[in-house]
Amino acid sequence: MKFLSNVQTTHKVFAALVLAVLYALPIFITSPVMLQIFILIFLYAYLTSSWNFVGGFAGVLPLGHSAFVGLGAYTSTLLYLTYNISPWIGMIAGGIVAAAFGLLIGLPTLKLRGAYFALATIAFAEGLRVLVENVEKLGPFEVRGPKGLLINLVGNSFKDFQFLSKVPYYYIILTMLVLVLILTFFMMRSKVGYYLAAGGEEPEAAEALGIKVSKYKLIAMAISCFLTALGGTFYAQLVLYFYPKSIMGLDMSYEIAFIALIGGRSTIMGPVLGAFLLRPVGELTRIYLGDTLPGLHLIIFGLVLIIVMRYQPRGLVEPVSRWLNILFDRIEKRRRA
Amino acid sequence: MALLEVKGVTKQFGGLTAVNSVDMEVQEGQIVGIIGPNGAGKTTLFSCIAGSHVPTKGSIKFNGTEIAGKKPYDICKLGVTRTFQVVKPFANKTVLYNTTVGAFAKTNRLDVAEEKAMEVLKLIDLYDKKDILAKNLTLPERKRLELARALATEPKLLLLDEVMAGLRPSEVAEMLPVIRKINSVGVSIIIVEHIMQAIMNLSEKVYVINFGKKIAEGDPHKVVADEEVIKAYLGDEYVANSH
Ligand SMILES: Nc1ncnc2c1ncn2[C@@H]1O[C@H](COP(=O)(O)OP(=O)(O)OP(=O)(O)O)[C@@H](O)[C@H]1O
Ligand SMILES: [Mg+2]
Repeated sequence: MKFLSNVQTTHKVFAALVLAVLYALPIFITSPVMLQIFILIFLYAYLTSSWNFVGGFAGVLPLGHSAFVGLGAYTSTLLYLTYNISPWIGMIAGGIVAAAFGLLIGLPTLKLRGAYFALATIAFAEGLRVLVENVEKLGPFEVRGPKGLLINLVGNSFKDFQFLSKVPYYYIILTMLVLVLILTFFMMRSKVGYYLAAGGEEPEAAEALGIKVSKYKLIAMAISCFLTALGGTFYAQLVLYFYPKSIMGLDMSYEIAFIALIGGRSTIMGPVLGAFLLRPVGELTRIYLGDTLPGLHLIIFGLVLIIVMRYQPRGLVEPVSRWLNILFDRIEKRRRA
Repeated sequence: MALLEVKGVTKQFGGLTAVNSVDMEVQEGQIVGIIGPNGAGKTTLFSCIAGSHVPTKGSIKFNGTEIAGKKPYDICKLGVTRTFQVVKPFANKTVLYNTTVGAFAKTNRLDVAEEKAMEVLKLIDLYDKKDILAKNLTLPERKRLELARALATEPKLLLLDEVMAGLRPSEVAEMLPVIRKINSVGVSIIIVEHIMQAIMNLSEKVYVINFGKKIAEGDPHKVVADEEVIKAYLGDEYVANSH
């Protein structure tokens, strides 16, 4: 555990404490509505952390990641409905399909800078959604166009990735989130992480130092799309009914980007912080104003983004971690004294 | 065989010929200087050698391998690393991080790369700044960071583009032994500088470029006495008057 040696003890204790609380939470919170809110926070934190591999570390701004959520959901669900293949296996298949698509669109677009890349990813995501809406049947698979897919209920079954209670979903997505954060931690401390950061910030200097920037961006894209698709399968199994607009709409892509930018991209905890701050806002406006003002949450996010970019351009994770560090230092000093 | 052999290299930007049929040779272990007035084409020549530009014409051989037109990262892997006159640090990263990126050229392990980076930082006297973000460095420090990062890739040939610009004379005097030290461990160097003190002091051989063309080459002390060279720097009248 040498790699943890430079992390302060107080940090470790704090992280362990937060984890313990989160893993114990379902013992105290039994309301399915509350659990669902937490599940969606974790899901969005997970999706944003996956997005972060390319949107944060590779320094581009993908705005169509819902396409990969959709690819994951459709792949695992179609395999399940057609061949009764367990969604756990379908999940991996979905990841591979999404990674392949990611490479395919990354190859021509990752060389584009700034707004052009963002536009290209929007176009791809929208194109894919419209395509799915117009496909009734693809080989042996019943895609059912705009009607979407309904997963038949089988009750509690791990193999079928279905549970009557929200609690298993809670633990699955929390664990997925923890794993993706650990992966992020190691990626940032690896050659790939250094090369991605370098290529994202100063591509010309990076290339002069021996970095094939486009190759590392493609690696990031493949990882990001793979992980995003796993979240898509989880989402499909959570709701058990979805259609193109609900699972690959641009509002989800935008929300992921908002969470990343407001929380702090290219940091480990930025996406988590962003999801905890924004998700409840989204949920509340949807519950109370969803009928009269649909999409209000995106407007609110936009306003928050403007303010955050004005005063904390690197995201809210920066001031928050500064405060925590001050707090930790005080605790550390008191402990020593 | 020369370590670097440049033959008839020309680079045109539209109608402008920035580098015009330049020949140049660097032997293993040498420090070679390039001088010339502003806009003469020195940086463009570096860009052709390091792969940032594809030469319009000509051949560039490194260790006998043709590298003209190859990509910068491939050329770096062969052992040629450049610095940028207009510095390009990874601004939001620390000095150590910047240098570690360079050191990853020779290893896949972070601890090995960091160790190499720290060694380089000590060598070029940036070690006490290692935890400072690159954007908070002064310009001369950023120039030194360019050098550190390039050196961390362990090149066989280092192309230094005005790394001493902006330094005070006393700081230039401190840099000279550093560059000589780098050279003494087997790194050949091409150095572009306007600071004559540095060029005269370091280089075994000097190339003078004007309007993209090589107008003189050879021993630095002889070259600065050359009529063409004086003309290039000070204009025709100066030479005429001095007769
Ligand atoms: N990318 C480019 N596109 C068009 N013209 C260029 C480009 N790069 C350089 N030039 C032109 O080529 C000529 C040579 O420029 P270069 O930067 O190589 O000169 P230099 O000798 O390095 O000058 P300095 O001493 O000022 O650094 C100049 O006229 C410059 O304007
Ligand atoms: Mg120049």
